[in-house]
Amino acid sequence: MQPAVALRSRIPLTPFQIAQIVIGIAFTIYLVYRFYVVLVVQRTYGPDTWLRLAISGLVLGAVYGLIAIGYTLVYGILFMINFAHGDIMMVGCFGGYFVFEALRAIHAPGGSFLDVYPIPSVLLAFAGGMGVAAVGGYFLEKIAYRPLRNAPRLVPLISAIGASIFLENAAQLLFGSQPRDYSNPAVLTRGTGWNLYVGGTAVVVTYTGVFTFVLSILMLIGLYLLVQHTRLGRAMRAVAENKPVASLMGIDVDSVISQTFIISGALAGAAGVMWGVHLGLVYYYVGFVPGIKAFTAAVLGGIGNVPGAMLGGVFLGVVEALGPPILGWSFQLADVIAFAILVLVLVFRPTGLLGEVLTEAKV
Amino acid sequence: MTRDRLRQSLTTGAIFGVVLVFLVLIGFQATAAQLIGGLIGNGYSIAISGTSGLGLDMLVFFALIGLWAGMSAARRRTPDLWSYALEGAAVTGAVSGAALALFGFLVDQLSAAGVALSAYLAQMVTSNTQLFILNLPATQVAVLYFALILLSSLLGAVMMRGMVRASWPQRLNDHLGRPFARLGGWLSHTLHRVTANRGSRYSLYGVLILLAILIPQGLGPFWNYTLGTVLIYVLLGLGLNVVVGLAGLLDLGYVAFYAIGAYTVALLTAPAPHHLLWSFWIALPIGIAVAALAGVVLGVPVLRLRGDYLAIVTLGFGEILGTLTRADALTSFTGGPMGVKDVAGPTLFGLSFSSGADYIYLMALGTIVIILITTRLQNSRVGRAWEAMREDETVARAMGVNTLVQKLLAFGIGAAFAGMGGVIFAARNQFTGPDDYTLMVSINVLCLVIVGGMGNMPGVIAGALVLKGLPEVLRQLQDYRLVAFGALLVVMMIVRPEGILPSRRRRLEVHAAESPPQTDSEGPGDRERLARNDGRS
Repeated sequence: MQPAVALRSRIPLTPFQIAQIVIGIAFTIYLVYRFYVVLVVQRTYGPDTWLRLAISGLVLGAVYGLIAIGYTLVYGILFMINFAHGDIMMVGCFGGYFVFEALRAIHAPGGSFLDVYPIPSVLLAFAGGMGVAAVGGYFLEKIAYRPLRNAPRLVPLISAIGASIFLENAAQLLFGSQPRDYSNPAVLTRGTGWNLYVGGTAVVVTYTGVFTFVLSILMLIGLYLLVQHTRLGRAMRAVAENKPVASLMGIDVDSVISQTFIISGALAGAAGVMWGVHLGLVYYYVGFVPGIKAFTAAVLGGIGNVPGAMLGGVFLGVVEALGPPILGWSFQLADVIAFAILVLVLVFRPTGLLGEVLTEAKV
Repeated sequence: MTRDRLRQSLTTGAIFGVVLVFLVLIGFQATAAQLIGGLIGNGYSIAISGTSGLGLDMLVFFALIGLWAGMSAARRRTPDLWSYALEGAAVTGAVSGAALALFGFLVDQLSAAGVALSAYLAQMVTSNTQLFILNLPATQVAVLYFALILLSSLLGAVMMRGMVRASWPQRLNDHLGRPFARLGGWLSHTLHRVTANRGSRYSLYGVLILLAILIPQGLGPFWNYTLGTVLIYVLLGLGLNVVVGLAGLLDLGYVAFYAIGAYTVALLTAPAPHHLLWSFWIALPIGIAVAALAGVVLGVPVLRLRGDYLAIVTLGFGEILGTLTRADALTSFTGGPMGVKDVAGPTLFGLSFSSGADYIYLMALGTIVIILITTRLQNSRVGRAWEAMREDETVARAMGVNTLVQKLLAFGIGAAFAGMGGVIFAARNQFTGPDDYTLMVSINVLCLVIVGGMGNMPGVIAGALVLKGLPEVLRQLQDYRLVAFGALLVVMMIVRPEGILPSRRRRLEVHAAESPPQTDSEGPGDRERLARNDGRS
């Protein structure tokens, strides 16, 4: 990693490492102390609250993971932060919303189509959201990134920021700035679910939460299999490894990059529909915060690393949910914890939790 | 070959069709019709069958886009034949016209059926929709739009071909371009001669300062406020220019230092959370120092990281600070989401700064100080170290540059400049709140540095004028300016990635990547050139 090997062999510990160790030890001691205070001394929250928080964190984390995959795939291949990825998720969220709205307007015997046939409705909504987002991802790459393939690194980043601003504001103009309610099928009504009794109190495990979590895990497994075991996945890994050599081996690099954007767009679209189904609001800015969080998750897990992105997402979601009560902070400060974790991980272990797939030399 | 041509025309047509439908969807046709109506005078605006009198203006707008479609379809036709140009324009016009016609048909049918489109599409309110369908039956709307776009596209092709073949662009260039070039040469020569002589140089500075003093007096409060905002962004841009442009460290959390400066002066001078009521002139250096210190302190752990990781960590810091200022839990310290009111403005000899012009003087002074400091640093040992670090960190270290110290210095100086911007910003607004310090500020500043020309101070100032000043001037297009801004950033990066006024080195860097011969180009011209080269060698 560090080129200054000679320097390090002469001085056993650089000031950086000393500072790292001191900060690390102090932080660990503080964390242990807070755990002791919250769980043993104060007992502010019962086990039911902890469970509820953990569940919400897991669900949110799974969605972060799904979006994070898109960042990781694109970064692994193009070494650029796809800043507009969160907005692709927003596009997918709107796609699912409009499918649901259209199905709700269709009459079927015994109510609207949406309530009578929930499974086809959900499938259609995911098809719509994923399709729109995949098309968005394809054109995003084609218009904003492909002409800049050989440009210096800041140039595609600015282009990505421009695309992000464009998508957000276009959505605001098209669909207005007011948040809209996602209309779920009746079986997936938000807030309803199975009751788990913990210490005499009911904890609702919502249907939407379970649905979101299970579906994202399934999609991640599918993606992992795709990357590891299909021809396209092999081509993607080859392009990430070395573009010129990959093209010499007969791989159409442009087409592989396009397909990567289509896949990551589709996953982001699915995440968008899930976000809408589970949290219930859709507006032009809906992708921004999940986008940044998901990028954090991708970096946490080790960028370019598909299981890492998932792990990073779930980890981030759980920490965000459980962190504030453990540290005794208000829930408004969840973002502070999320980004502080990001900073700490990057300072202590820049390759992420599971290690990045690419090496510094390639970057 | 024919199929290639057809596909190209079809693609162009599809792009223009999508753009046309998109413009109608975001309601731009109404705004454009108003602008055109104002331009050609309302006397010529003819109401078509009872619409609001802008129907013709809107059709002019669509025809202009059709003209553009035809021109771009007819451009770069090889071989350069009338038939090819017209054929391409016809296909392009037909496709984009069909898209608009289909959309018009649909909108007409839906509104005839009584569907309120604005429930889902915010800009498709009744007045815009009525204007778009012109109170005509659906089939007539479709035919009208198809014919309009097709004809204007053909006209555009004729114009394009005329323009390419005509001698007047050349003559225009001879008659206008040469005198302009001569004028420019004379100007730069004179400027050079004037600045070479010390006395005349100082008198030139005197004239410029006099102008700077007189201009804000002549502007109204609105323009002074706008100019002030632009100048704040100039301060921020010059600061970020040190970090990104000179030292090559990508900082996406630059807003943090801006916020620190603003909050320092606010908390020290305002009555609300702490009641310290210090003077502005004491708070100013403290704010700058605190921001610089924050830059160094934040820099120590993260500057070991390179490239994008640094960007992400700084982005994280920016977001942390933003969340902290927004938090209810810290209301007793930062004023919380309501912000801090009644921030003290500066006073000079007992007179308080009241008008926008006073603040402009302060900002101009700050800008001059920053430019002086940056110029001196840039041409010093430090500047050379930054440059070496930016080009290749490992090599710079091998050459004996203490990269850690240099990075911290760049980070601290950049942060200090941002702190100065923040202090003046808070004092001018007499208020500071969390909503002023979002990620968008960091992104805007980064954009203006890069769009203006990285590493070049006049470029940064030009970038601030273009990105912050131009949207204020184009108030009429207020709803659309951010969409246009996003699209412009993308187009700018594709067309001119080195920025408006790049430094010479940056321009070379950007274009260095393009100079090696591209292996995958398929243009017939390239092949011909290669063949010719082969023949010669």
